[in-house]
Order: sequence, then C-alpha cells, then structure tokens
Amino acid sequence: MKKYEIKLDRRDFLKSSTMLGVSTIAPGVFFQQLAHGRDLDEPASSKIRWGMLINTNQCTDECDACVTACNEEHGIEDFGRPTTDTQWIRKLTLTSETTEESINVPMMCQHCENPPCVDVCPTGASFIRADGIVLVNKHTCIGCRYCMMSCPYKARSFVHENLENQLPHAPRGKGCVESCNLCVHKIDNGENNTACAEACQKDGHQAILFGDLNDVESDISKQLKKYESKEVRSDLGLNTAVRYRGI
Amino acid sequence: MRDKTDYIIIEFSKAVFFFGVVVLSFIALGFYSFLTLEHEGHWLTGMNNQVVWGLPHVFAIFLIIAASGILNIASISSVFNIKIYKPLGRLSALLAICLLTGGLMVLVLDLGRPDRLIVAMTTFNFKSIFAWNIFLYSGFMAVIALYLWMMFEARYNKFVGKVGTFAFIWRITLTTGTGSIFAFLVAKEAYGALAAPLFIALSLLMGTAIFYSILYWMDKGLDVPLGSEIIARFRRLLIYFIFTVFYITILSHLTSLYVTKNHDFEFFLLFSDNIYTLLFWVCQIGIGTILPLFILYNKKLSISPLGILLASLLVIFGGFTMLYIIIISGQAYPLDLFPGYTENSSFYDGAIASYTPSIYEIMLGLGGVGISAAIYIFAIMILDFTPKNLDDEHTLYSNNKEKIKTE
Amino acid sequence: MYKKLSLKILLTFFLILFSGASITHENIPHNIDRSVADKCVEPTDIMRSQHHIFIKQQSHDTVVKGIRTQKYSLNNCINCHIKPSANGTYPSVKSEEHFCSGCHIAAAAQVECFDCHASKPFKKVVEKVKDSE
Repeated sequence: MKKYEIKLDRRDFLKSSTMLGVSTIAPGVFFQQLAHGRDLDEPASSKIRWGMLINTNQCTDECDACVTACNEEHGIEDFGRPTTDTQWIRKLTLTSETTEESINVPMMCQHCENPPCVDVCPTGASFIRADGIVLVNKHTCIGCRYCMMSCPYKARSFVHENLENQLPHAPRGKGCVESCNLCVHKIDNGENNTACAEACQKDGHQAILFGDLNDVESDISKQLKKYESKEVRSDLGLNTAVRYRGI
Repeated sequence: MRDKTDYIIIEFSKAVFFFGVVVLSFIALGFYSFLTLEHEGHWLTGMNNQVVWGLPHVFAIFLIIAASGILNIASISSVFNIKIYKPLGRLSALLAICLLTGGLMVLVLDLGRPDRLIVAMTTFNFKSIFAWNIFLYSGFMAVIALYLWMMFEARYNKFVGKVGTFAFIWRITLTTGTGSIFAFLVAKEAYGALAAPLFIALSLLMGTAIFYSILYWMDKGLDVPLGSEIIARFRRLLIYFIFTVFYITILSHLTSLYVTKNHDFEFFLLFSDNIYTLLFWVCQIGIGTILPLFILYNKKLSISPLGILLASLLVIFGGFTMLYIIIISGQAYPLDLFPGYTENSSFYDGAIASYTPSIYEIMLGLGGVGISAAIYIFAIMILDFTPKNLDDEHTLYSNNKEKIKTE
Repeated sequence: MYKKLSLKILLTFFLILFSGASITHENIPHNIDRSVADKCVEPTDIMRSQHHIFIKQQSHDTVVKGIRTQKYSLNNCINCHIKPSANGTYPSVKSEEHFCSGCHIAAAAQVECFDCHASKPFKKVVEKVKDSE
C-alpha cells in the first residue's frame, strides 16, 4: 500500500484528499467552500452553465498565447496543410469597413444553448452537456460533417489525418469532427479554467474570462452585468455561452 | 389488369461483356479510392475544413435523386395509368434500386468513419433530417421490393396500382428529405426552402434522361427494338422537366435576390469571375438547358433516337453541374460573422474557399456509378426485367383494349 | 449432394466462428505493472469476459455525464497494463507485445479505442525522457 502512495502524482493526491474530504466533512459545507468543485463521480449539473467573456480591447495584435495553449493542451499538431489542419481556436482580425479600425477576436465554438450542430447530427454524437458545453461524442461520430455545414461560426474541424501520440486526457482521431470543448477535462477535475484563459491571464492581457454564467456571484456574471457585451450572430437566436466585449 | 408484356432474361453477349468490363473497372477504382482514403485520411481529397462536402456528395445526391426520378416511369404507368409505359415498369423499379444503392454506397464510403455504419443505423437523433433520410432510403428499398413483387407475380398484378401510389408518395417524400438537407442550414445564404421542390424537379429530369439513355443502349446493345412512340414520349417528358427545373432555378434566384442581404452571394454566384459563375452560365444554362432544348425542338434531331440520346446526356451533364454548383458554391462562399467588418484569419475566414476535386473523389464517385450499373446488369441477366420488344406495334397494342380481349 | 455440401460449409463456418472464443484471453498472463498497483480493479476472470462492458459504460459516463472516476477508466488500464519493455520504451499498439493487442490480434477482434485514445502511459513517458537526458 505504501508503495502505491508514493507513486501518486500531485493531481491524484488532490483527488484522493478531496475524496477524504467528502467522507469527513458534511457535503453541504464542502460544496460551499469550493465554488464548483464537483466530485469525480458526480455528473455535470445543469445548475451551472459554463461560458466565456472575451474582451477584444485587451487582445493584442502579435500575441497568440491562447491558440498555442489550446494546441498544447489538446495535442493539436499541424501537418503543414492549412486547409485541412485542425483549429479549435483561431484569431480573427476584423477591419471595419467604415473606420478602418482593427479588432482582434479569438474565435472558437460558441457553445450555443440551441446549437444547430446538435439539431443536424444524425447519430446524436454532437450533443450539449448538462452544464452547457457543446461536445462531440467521438464514440458515435460517423464523420458525416453535417455539423460543420450547419455551424454558423465555422468552429469545427474534421480530422483529415492519421494521428499518433494523443494525450490521455484528449482523445482525438482520424475521421471524426471536433471542436473546442471548453477544456472539459479540466472542468471535470475541478480546475474550472480553460487553457486559453489561463494562457491569456499569464501573459497579462486578461482578455479571456471563464466562469459560470448561472452563478450571479461569479466574476463573469458581474462583468456581464457591468459592461456591454455581444453575441456573435445574435440574429440567429442561438444564445451563445461565449460573449464578446468591444465589437 | 394483368401485365401482358413479354419479358426476357438477357443472355451473355459481347455488349454485356464490354458493359461488364467497364463496370468492374469503375468498381475497382472506387474500391481502391475507398481503401486509400480509409487508410490515409481525407486530406488526400480536395475537401477541407471550408468545403466539407465535395464531389462524392455530388455523385451521391445525383444518384439518389436520379433513383427517385427514374421510378417516375413506373409511377406514370401504374399511378396515372398510361399504359404505354407499362412494359417499362419493372425496369424502372430495378433502376431505382440500382441508383439508390450506388448513391448510398458513395455517401457511406465517404464518411470519416465508414466502419461505424452500424452506429448510424442504430443510433438516431430524430431532429436531424439525415436520420430521417436513413429511414426514407431504407424504406424506399423495401417499398420498391414490394412493388417489384406485385409486378412480377401475375396474381398480384392487380395491386400494382395501390403499391405504385404508395411508392410514388414515398419517393416524393424521399426527394424532399434529400433537398431538405440543404434547407435547414441557418447560417448559409446559399440554401433555402426552395431546395426541396428544386430537387424533386431535378430528380424527374435526371430519371427521365438516364432512363432514355438506358433504353437507347438496350436498343443497340441488347437488341430490344425501341419504337418511335416511346421516343416521342420521352422527348416530351424531357421538355416538360427541363422547363420545370429551369423555372424553379429562376424562382429560387429571384427569391434570393429579393432579400438584400443575399445580394452579395447571388452576385458571387451569377456575375463574378469564378468557376461557379462559369459553370452556371456555360454548363448548367448553356449546355444543360438551352442546347438540349434546341435539340428537342429541332425538326430533324427531335425525331432521331440519337438526337434524344444526345439531349439526355447533355441534360445529365447539366444536372450534375447544377448539383455541383448548389453543393460547393454554398460552402465556398464565406460566412459573414461580423457584418460591417472584413474578416481575416489563418482559418480562411472571410475568404472564398478553394476546392479542387482530387482523383480519389472522382474514382469514388465512379465506383458508385459502377455499383449501380453492376446491380442492373446482374439483375437483368437472372430475372426477366427487360421487355422483349418496345417497338410501336408492341407498345401501342396495350392501349388498344379490344386487342387485349382477343388475346 | 448439395445439401451435404452446404451442411459442411455451415459447419466450417461455425467452427471458425466459435473457435475464436477458445483462444480469446486464455493464454494471456495476468500482466500488470506491480510498481503501480497490486492487482486489477476486478478479478481476472471477470475482466477477461467483461472488460469491454466496463470500458464502454465508463466512456459513456465520462463523455456524456462528465464522470471521471479512475476505476474503469481506460487511462487507468493503460497506466498499469502497459509496461515498458527491456529497452525502456513502450510497445506499439500495433505489436503483439501491447497488452490489449496481444489478445485482440490473436482473436482477430479489432480494437477501436486507440484510434483516438493514448495507447501508452503518458506521464511516465515524459519522466523516462527526462531520466535519459
């Protein structure tokens, strides 16, 4: 048994100590202490809706930290074929047709409440999780690409190549469609932040804020209340979980 | 209402042999392409993250709607009771099965995970028109099988009308379902609800043109004489359907032009210097609509079997281009995420996507055509699908009730 | 005559079909990295017959519900069962040395898992690389 414990890494240790915590401290008290720290065997809850607020005013021209972080987190490599290479998050440069001002917009899956990709998926592989994250179940995805046809944000990529050396927490493979998953593995492990938001904070831009849209006390909810923000293509009535400031 | 037509089983001949060789080489190409794509991935195709549906889908949808349209000949005879088409009923139903199988084959083999076909057949999201289409397609097969049974079994000939009506309704639904794949894309300007009627009209046109081409081949290769009455009727059908397709095409563009925000796309498609404009005006309108109409109204050509064949082939070419334009151009035209801004990114936002079909896609498509043709040639060699004679004497007598009585 | 022949074909077919069951999972040793854990999460005979059910259930729970318990997770399987070979590298999933492939190649039953999932313990690979540097 001792031997076993030595081999635990930090994350595992945290997990087991959390378990211990659950069994000793009254659950109610415990959940209040850790804002959204969900137990490993507890399913995602519809009380939460994860979302992002992206402040384009803080996003700079030369920085691509969010893109690099995303690729690193999920093991996304490029094959030098830009038309078929996967991109979960990309930086759009907008130039106003009237004033010629330029805006940087990180663009990814907007995690709609009424996602067109979920409507059109023949097998139900494209689905929306209880906490509002739109995901592809790669066990049932047949690679028909209808979701890519229907997505108003061009958020999805089809894996055109054979992949090797995938990361244990980020299974990806040829022939399936994939897109931003809001770092669902990090959420499930209680980290409650995404790789892109972390990278952006680390670089000091603070352009990406991740949080629970349903929790009035969360930073993201407070900021959404305080500042004006927009949904991209709000005319479609999709109620996206990713909102933008400064566009 | 017994079917009095004489049917024959086709014997092996030189024509059948050459047909078989071509068909088998098509299938071999398709199979090779499938294996390569399955092994290497879709980067070998021209399809990419911008244009996600390419030439295989054009082939697949072409074959599927042609399958629905080719059954029209059987419908005319058993639903609308025009007896001259009765000898063609069995063939019409057989060809519908062939084309549908070929089309579905291409569609399935182009999937990212064709090995998960069983998932597609067992897990359904009923909000998706795709899932409904799976039922429509497999149901269509079953309905045609029943239809064929009623036609083959003399005792059940009396039910042909009822089953035929059911098959007629089913195939209209099927084509509507296929068209609706494009009708429900909220963000794309290119696609609207008119896709469904357009697909129905196009299916009738394609079905008629393909059927005539096969009748011509039967005349030349299988020694089934083709009478002038049938030719004249196919000529008329072609004219009706060319005009219907043309009318709905114009209607859909005008409807689209009425909405100001669609002007950019319509301009892109109709009046700019890209491949789609060229295809639209030259191939779809010029070669696929005006030229066949010219042939069909030409005094000499309109009564010659070869002239109608030429018109049919041009119409098939035009219809194929039309599907190509509908499917590809709508994807190549960029989404406008931020109106009032020009967009630029490494993911080709705001840029017109390029798409060049690769050899693998062409081979896969031809494979589907090959499968269709292989089922056809196999079926006519084991069962009596083919009418023995289609000359005027044999086809017109069925209109003459007295002659039937005396028999 | 034809009846006899078809009976033979049928018999051969069934023999081929069911002979698979006899080679599946029988000769494979209880292979586990003792430095990680003492024993598997379930008794050997249960794992032999039902591992795919556990994994499938877990995959559904994880993807759809977000449940990420360790016990039946594929990563947990891999962490224990995929041991480095003598030269310190992990066996490729295509070779019979790989714990999963060893059986599945013999039984001619294709494993889909590693089309997408990592087939070797990831963290330890990193450590190994660091050690060797």
